[in-house]
Amino acid sequence: MLQRLPKQVDNSLPSLNLAAKYKLTDSGYAIVFLGPTLMLLVAFVFYPMLKTLYMSFFLTNDFGKTTAFVGLSNYVSLITSSSYLSSLGATLVFVLAVSILTVVLGVALAVTANQELKGIRLFRTLFSATMGVSVSVAAIFWLFAFNPSVGVFAQLSQALHLPVVNWLTDPKSAMVAIIISTVWMNLGFTFLIIFGALQSVPKSLYEAADIVGISKLTQLFKVTIPMISGTLFFVMIVTLIEAFKSFGLIDMMTEGGPDNATNLLVYRIYQDAFINGNFAQGSTESILLTIIIAIFTLIQFKFLGKRVHY
Amino acid sequence: MKQHRIIGLLGLLLVFVLIVSGCAIGHASATATAPREKIVFWHEMTGPAADQLKKFATQFNASQKKYQIVPEFEGTYNEAVQKILQTHGTSASPAIFQSMDVSTSELYHAKVATPMQHFIDKDHYNMNQIAAVPRAFYSQGGKQISMPFNTSQPVLYYNTSLLKRLGIKAPAKDPSYSDITAVAKQIQAKSKGKVNGMTVEEYGWLFEQFMANSNEHMANNENGRQGVPTAVNFDQPGAKKAMQWIQTNVKNKDIINFGSGSTAETNEMAAFLAGKLGIFMQSSADIGNLTSGMKDKLGICYFPHADGQKANGVSIGGASLWIGNDKSKSVQQGAWEFAKFLVNAKNQAIWEKITGYMAINKQAAKEPILKNLFAKQPMVAVPGEQLARTKPNTANSGIFMEDVVQERTLTQTAMQQVYNNGNIGKALKTATDSMNAAIKNNNKASGLTK
Repeated sequence: MLQRLPKQVDNSLPSLNLAAKYKLTDSGYAIVFLGPTLMLLVAFVFYPMLKTLYMSFFLTNDFGKTTAFVGLSNYVSLITSSSYLSSLGATLVFVLAVSILTVVLGVALAVTANQELKGIRLFRTLFSATMGVSVSVAAIFWLFAFNPSVGVFAQLSQALHLPVVNWLTDPKSAMVAIIISTVWMNLGFTFLIIFGALQSVPKSLYEAADIVGISKLTQLFKVTIPMISGTLFFVMIVTLIEAFKSFGLIDMMTEGGPDNATNLLVYRIYQDAFINGNFAQGSTESILLTIIIAIFTLIQFKFLGKRVHY
Repeated sequence: MKQHRIIGLLGLLLVFVLIVSGCAIGHASATATAPREKIVFWHEMTGPAADQLKKFATQFNASQKKYQIVPEFEGTYNEAVQKILQTHGTSASPAIFQSMDVSTSELYHAKVATPMQHFIDKDHYNMNQIAAVPRAFYSQGGKQISMPFNTSQPVLYYNTSLLKRLGIKAPAKDPSYSDITAVAKQIQAKSKGKVNGMTVEEYGWLFEQFMANSNEHMANNENGRQGVPTAVNFDQPGAKKAMQWIQTNVKNKDIINFGSGSTAETNEMAAFLAGKLGIFMQSSADIGNLTSGMKDKLGICYFPHADGQKANGVSIGGASLWIGNDKSKSVQQGAWEFAKFLVNAKNQAIWEKITGYMAINKQAAKEPILKNLFAKQPMVAVPGEQLARTKPNTANSGIFMEDVVQERTLTQTAMQQVYNNGNIGKALKTATDSMNAAIKNNNKASGLTK
């Protein structure tokens, strides 16, 4: 790949230009430019991935070393365990609720903020503000809001003489609480991306629609959404994957409880591997989660991808 | 131009050489005057306890010239266990480390430490000065594995001033379940619902204590004291009685549910300090926070027992000290000297006063620091009295089993189901089955059973 050029090329001046000194073939160039990245990916992505796959076929001891080969038995016992299946169910509910709500609310906010009104810039800033909030700050904020004695929600329901909901200790409401806070966290990013897309829709389309006398609502569905469908598709995939990976808010607000109601797949992996010290089970769960996310992304590409107008 | 640059470079080089040689000389002279053995000490304490540990290390270092203790904070108990296991045998591993109660069996089987008994025998150290329950907790087969250190017991806290204001008689020192219910009911009624009667956190450690106090073995082979446990059973009469007691009280609104984990602990503490909660069950290690943050007078009584049944005594929580077996003999000796220093009577008295953890050295009660403390705040002595009256047996000396962490998560989940009106027998049975599956796998993986 590296070929020394024949000596007759000017050697009176010492040249530091490597490309002139060595002639690189195409694959040589590829290795030089992609090699460093590939090495990093191998060390930090592919090797851990393969190791995870390897560990999922074994039992591991206290040190996290593989001891007994068990074949697919880790997978079988997971898939047949009722607590794993309920985690899976909870994750699906969570992911669907979060991604649908985030995208719908994001579109609603972006369309509203896209109006040219006085002071609209303030709202544009406010709507995207959650992007700048870190997970821990958000968790503390929501923990206060959901607190049964001093929280905003508790005081509101007391003022309205409604029963106080103990948000984070009741399995049903805990899920709702986590969904609300996650949607709130994700909304800033979604809003910003969709808003950017809206700004790039040509004004002439709306002018033409106005001349024909099409209502604003019809314009939203027939002009705006098709024009930003590419961005919407992107946002949907990103929020879906993000929702699958949710960890911080759950760790800080419910720790997977109560009664495993918010013990989503990613949190479960963390608990099994790093709290219970069962690395084999954690690995098995990681592999299953990878497969699940891949399936979801494929489905989205298949069904939503077709409806996208680029 | 070029010459200037060269001179500049040479100048820089000279400065660099001077610095390096200076350091080398400085280093050499330092080691020549103080050939101290460096003893790295890993701990997981925060707040006042961490400050006190640092003070102990400084005092120990000043008291002798052979060893230099270097305390290092390693995060939470759970994180530290993983770090201890993963660094063992490398230069990054600690010489002496603090590790939580539930990691005892795991660290023992992982063979990362020199048994404490080795140093006790060599030094003819009198272990009888250490309280019996923690001693039993951290031993196996009559041999001390690790040195008990920060030790707590579960107790019931109540607001004495609040009870007085409402005209309610304080609970007995050694109360039964119904004694506590009666007080909680009165608090609720006499405050017209403004003050919650009591709370019991959904917490696996407390579940263990209910079983211990009912003289029930959670794991077979007498909680692992007669051999590696191969199965657990949470679904026993004592455990059921306790869960029934809680569920009935939750239904009658005499128990308010603050949930589980650190959120629950923060919320129950806040409610109690604000006078919005009458009674709560928690570790005695909270005493420090309670006495410093509370305007009202604090009351403490023993962990409750089932009606018509004698209390078997509760186990302990906290952590112990281990000496790594991957360090040289002299480093291990230094670690042992430091461990002895930490548990001597005077330091244990200071430790109890500052942190609220109980002094495990029996002689500590004679120290003026504790005498004064108990004279001023007699209720602070209650956890120690509970510990002292407990005769250790295999039911109240902790569960010597790997995966106790997982057991806690599972029993906590079972408690959550019970609090939310789930079927008690079913909840306990489900947790038992999950745990037994985990034990089977883990014993196989660790080579403890075939």
